[in-house]
Amino acid sequence: MGRSLLTYSEIDRTVLDTLRPASRGYWFLIALLALGVLVGAVCWAYQIAVGIGVGGQNHPVAWGTYLINFVFWVGIAHSGTLISAILHLFRAGWRNPIARAAETMTVFAVCIAGLFPFIHLGRVWMVHYMLPYPNQRTLWPNFQSPLVFDVVAISTYLIVSSLFWYTGMLPDLATVRDKAKGYRKKIFTLISLGWTGRHEQWRHYLRGYLFFAALATPLVISVHSVVSWDFALGVVPGWHSTIFAPYFVAGAIHSGLAMVLTLLIPMRKIFHYEVFITRNVLENIAKTIVLTGLIVGYAYMIEYFLAWYSNNIVEQESFRWRALGEYSIQFWIMVVCNSIIPLFFFIKRIRTNLVWLFCISILINIGMWFERFVIIIGGVAHGFIPSVWGDYAPSVIEYGIMIGSFSLFFMLFLLFAKHLPSVSMTEMKETLSKGSSQVHVGS
Amino acid sequence: MSDHDEKLILGVFPDEEKAVSAIEALKPLSWKLDRVHSPFPSHRILEALKLKKSRVGYFTLAGGILGFLFGLALAIFTALRWGLIVSGKPIVSMIPFFIVGFEFTILFSVLGNVIGLLILNRLPKYEDLETYDPRFSSDHFGIVASCGERDQEGLINFFRTHGGEASALD
Repeated sequence: MGRSLLTYSEIDRTVLDTLRPASRGYWFLIALLALGVLVGAVCWAYQIAVGIGVGGQNHPVAWGTYLINFVFWVGIAHSGTLISAILHLFRAGWRNPIARAAETMTVFAVCIAGLFPFIHLGRVWMVHYMLPYPNQRTLWPNFQSPLVFDVVAISTYLIVSSLFWYTGMLPDLATVRDKAKGYRKKIFTLISLGWTGRHEQWRHYLRGYLFFAALATPLVISVHSVVSWDFALGVVPGWHSTIFAPYFVAGAIHSGLAMVLTLLIPMRKIFHYEVFITRNVLENIAKTIVLTGLIVGYAYMIEYFLAWYSNNIVEQESFRWRALGEYSIQFWIMVVCNSIIPLFFFIKRIRTNLVWLFCISILINIGMWFERFVIIIGGVAHGFIPSVWGDYAPSVIEYGIMIGSFSLFFMLFLLFAKHLPSVSMTEMKETLSKGSSQVHVGS
Repeated sequence: MSDHDEKLILGVFPDEEKAVSAIEALKPLSWKLDRVHSPFPSHRILEALKLKKSRVGYFTLAGGILGFLFGLALAIFTALRWGLIVSGKPIVSMIPFFIVGFEFTILFSVLGNVIGLLILNRLPKYEDLETYDPRFSSDHFGIVASCGERDQEGLINFFRTHGGEASALD
């Protein structure tokens, strides 16, 4: 297959071409997604006006799609940090062309996730109660509760991932500034902070970026561990398990990598990024998905083993019901999509075919959403006492808010892709300077 | 030579190879290297300059220590102020409070890291853009060196001999 070398200016040209004025089709898509956001906003406003009862949550299932979506979006956020921080520490050069898009996905996904506790509060104007601030009643948050760990962990994650994203983008913002004209030049001059690429700046930047990566790595593991403890610290059958933290972290990375494929495959085609995001890069993501899929599949099996080995009849009934009860369809969607379908990536022909990669990534996203459904609903719907067993179905308002959250995520990502450099020009040039094969066409 | 006699000369190089060779050749000469601009963190240039390790880590470390102490102190202080036993756990429960301490460690370390980067890089600083060539963020490399007024031509010729364009900075 033909291979042609890139140059520094071609890297700039390819990335900066994506920032040209958008087509009508782009703005139509943005308008469509804005409509979806409006649907979500109206549903939320209605819930605020009428009360939390308009959602489908009720006794015994008090945590419905709001918590499912919260955990889902936090999970999606995780692979951005895996790609930008963990793979940076491992010096995996193939992550360079996709790190920016993955980091952006992280920032937006954490923002969306952070909305759900607000929505689930019902009385959203009481949100400040979650924060520790001096007050007349000496009423403070209880820092022994994993729900308060969550407030600290998710806020930290949002701040850290946003700063990591912005710091990494600083040299690229300077590149855009130097090519832009008019009001765009003024904006990019302001936000690039006067970056000139002096050797002193690079010396501190390299060191600072390394510390960012080193700090984001334990943070990402802690954040989803903390989310898992929202469940694992509750004495509820199906939740009260020590494997939850690693199980959730692996699941989060699994879903995040799938979302990276879902976003990157169309972006690669639309922006002509084939020269950066080669099939080899996509294949490496698929290989990582095989690993995370196997870990997730192992976790599903070990949960059953623990239920059987514990000899606890409540635990055993809970897991029997998961596979054969009212929500068995959701359970089997979860198992098939998350741990069986990714195994097709063992076949090279499938993991190098864009259509297969895209379709399987969507199926994993669906499977991971249902994993959260099975865990969150399944635990409380079928608890200790048969007389309080119950079921749950999302209401129209919950569906509306869910549509709003997905629309907001994709709208923010589309706005980013057309207004900021979606591939790190700096890292691509650095890769080219080192002579890596990642910047060759046709690999 | 007095300070007001000193002139800054900018050499613009089309590739990394030529910039590195100019830096190496400049070292034994009497002209003083002021700064080097590059479109990416060129490890070859940084090695040629033989720079010391950045001190940004001290800011990160200070942030981390402060964050851990702050997180732990916040959890202990608020628990003591409220003073209600929950689930039979001690009021000051070190294991859950350690998690709060950990999250604050990361948060403050990163804030320290960013503050360190801003202070050490003296950012935001827009004045430098006046003597900056926009090609430095794309595909060119810049070397700025200082010399006495009478040596100007010599330094300009030096940069040209090494494959660059050269001009005096005002």
